[in-house]
Amino acid sequence: MTSPPVSLRERAAAVQAAPTRRRRSPRTAAWLFAGPATALFVAFFAYPLGASLYQSFTARRDGADVWVGLDQYRRLLHDPAFLHSLVNTGLILAVQVPVMIGLALVLAVLLNQSWLRFRAGWRAVFFLPAITTLVAYAVVFQVLLRTDGGLANQFLQALGLDPVDWLNSPTWARISLIGSVTWRWTGYNAVILLAGLHAIGRDQYEAAALDGAGPVRTYTGVILPQLRPVVLFCVITSTIGTLQLFDENYVLTRGGPGDATLTPVVYLYKVGFQQLDFGYAAAIAWVVVLIIAAVSLLQFRLYGRERRR
Amino acid sequence: MSAETRPEKHPQLARDQGGLVPGPTRRRVLSAGLAGGALLLTGANGCATGGAGATGAKQLTGSPGAALTGKVVIWSWDVAAKAMQRLGKAFEQAHPGTTVEVVDIGYDNAYDKITVGLGAGSGLPDVLTVEGHKLPTYTGNFPNALVDLTSRAEGLRSQYTEASWRTVTDAGGRVRALPWDSGPCALFYRRDLFQQAGIDPAGLATWDDYVTAGTALKAATGRKLLILDAKQDSLFAMLLQQQGQRWFVDGKVAVATPAAERALTLLKQLVDRDLVDFENGWDGLVSGTHDGKAATTPTAAWWDGTLTADLADLSGKVGVVPLPAFTPGGPRTSNSGGSTLCVTAQSRNPETAWGFLSFLLADKANQASMMRQEGLFPAYLPALDDPYFQQPAPYYGGQPAMQLFAGLTRSVPTVELTADDSKAGDIVTTAVNQVLHNGADPATVLRSAARQIATATGRQTLG
Repeated sequence: MTSPPVSLRERAAAVQAAPTRRRRSPRTAAWLFAGPATALFVAFFAYPLGASLYQSFTARRDGADVWVGLDQYRRLLHDPAFLHSLVNTGLILAVQVPVMIGLALVLAVLLNQSWLRFRAGWRAVFFLPAITTLVAYAVVFQVLLRTDGGLANQFLQALGLDPVDWLNSPTWARISLIGSVTWRWTGYNAVILLAGLHAIGRDQYEAAALDGAGPVRTYTGVILPQLRPVVLFCVITSTIGTLQLFDENYVLTRGGPGDATLTPVVYLYKVGFQQLDFGYAAAIAWVVVLIIAAVSLLQFRLYGRERRR
Repeated sequence: MSAETRPEKHPQLARDQGGLVPGPTRRRVLSAGLAGGALLLTGANGCATGGAGATGAKQLTGSPGAALTGKVVIWSWDVAAKAMQRLGKAFEQAHPGTTVEVVDIGYDNAYDKITVGLGAGSGLPDVLTVEGHKLPTYTGNFPNALVDLTSRAEGLRSQYTEASWRTVTDAGGRVRALPWDSGPCALFYRRDLFQQAGIDPAGLATWDDYVTAGTALKAATGRKLLILDAKQDSLFAMLLQQQGQRWFVDGKVAVATPAAERALTLLKQLVDRDLVDFENGWDGLVSGTHDGKAATTPTAAWWDGTLTADLADLSGKVGVVPLPAFTPGGPRTSNSGGSTLCVTAQSRNPETAWGFLSFLLADKANQASMMRQEGLFPAYLPALDDPYFQQPAPYYGGQPAMQLFAGLTRSVPTVELTADDSKAGDIVTTAVNQVLHNGADPATVLRSAARQIATATGRQTLG
């Protein structure tokens, strides 16, 4: 630099000393900068949030919204469809999330191998399902899972097995849903885990090898323990995603047959947009928010403990 | 595909076909729900849709004979949109200075768009296409969002069946739409399969006969009796309407009635005897029918459109008889589907909109032309006298099939429709599924469904 350094404070003093220019006070300037964002936040976030909370305390009677206090929330406690949707979500959480994270881990480790060629290409391929449009997703899975002549059943029949009624039987519909969610999100999680693996230096592998650890022992004993925070991050986001599950079961089964694949958000959609029971739908939305908040809090606690180690 | 050409007439089937099209994403639904909430909140504070006033609906105020001018925008879909585009030109010629613009919004997003527009009190066109069974949900929840057509439409009452008219009349007795097409039901059957089994379809007087015949037919031909998608409630609703009820009677929950139990027991019997071929959605029904998986299809007149257009190779093999009755001598038809047209309170041109509605729907020649060209079975009774209905149809082996439906139209039982119908329908569908898939006892699940509906709607249970 050629010019003599001038401290910020000196410059500010010089500016303030200039008598001819009228300046807005710093406070106004701060609001001017924050204003647009704040206005957008209030208009599109805070206000709808508040309005939906208010709405969850109302019911529509003869075309007008009437205050009903906690009635909508009380209704939820005894609504078999809603309780069923929670059970379904619990089932998916218990089965799908561990399976998917396990698969994603294996995938990430494979994608991290130095002998693998076209690694960027592979990563893109496995990431694609997560960004595929819903139209393509729906068409592919409906063709795949069609009872008559669907690819899945053709495969089963080629193996000499009986065809399966993938979307019409309650049990198989659940399995189909779990499978399709796993297909869609495994690659996504694998890429995040891969980023975690990249952060672990080559020296760690070398050190493990020098200590006589084989490849499996290297991963289970050295690499995976260091990956725990990333795994936990994937578990948390997947859990939240599962609690908000909508796309997959909406396009595959609309929550059916019966309530077999109903999730809280699909139920919310049905109640709000098909039954026009907006107060009840808002109550469902807020209960889902509370459940997600509780589960996330729990997992963040675990996460915090993890980081202190 | 067939479903894209005729979904407006068969909502449940069409809805499932919609699975091929993206729904709103998870996040979009949540934010839409929140936004919708915000809109309703403003509505409650006194905007277009708010207020409990049962008398606040906009009326048609112009003088009936005045010249019509201006533009009318209409939302519709598929063949219904095509029919209006065709006849819209005729209307423009008959009334110079008017413009009819038909927007095909597609069936799959239609109701989301309509719901949001009604909730917001803005963004809707002059005229909406709404299926008859959905209309009460809208008029009940948004009582002032549609123009009260009573003053002009009342004179047309005698031109429609009571069942049709009931569909467009709200709880306060006001006319909120004009019926377009209707869905009188009968039993389509495969002539060749019945012949092979040596069964005379004319002898199917009751549903008991139907089950018995189905067992014999399966033994002889290996084919099942009917195709069903249990995720949809259309057949159960049809069997209920045949007995003169839907979900509510006198404002009370009526799904645990003897009629409902009879209907569900019939479905269970059919499943227990392995006479039902379960298929997925509309496409499953069409391809299953094409492959001859089942010998009969109990459904509405509009099925004719799909048969003749998409299943032309079955020509000559199909026949139609009235629905079997529940009790000897009982009603032998029902209704499934059918659409209406209504004028929104947001319309700037309600007089011209009404002018187009009456031109299109309350007109013998135009209604008959929509039967011939778009396969829309007219709700306007004078149109049923058109010679078209008397013609022997080669597709039905020379039987004048449409004449049978025209004859059945007047005896379609009238049912009560309410603003809570879609809520009740969802709960009933789940109950029906428990019986069909898990073998539950019909009476037990219906009682439990009735309790659920009562809780969800704040209504009493019948009996």
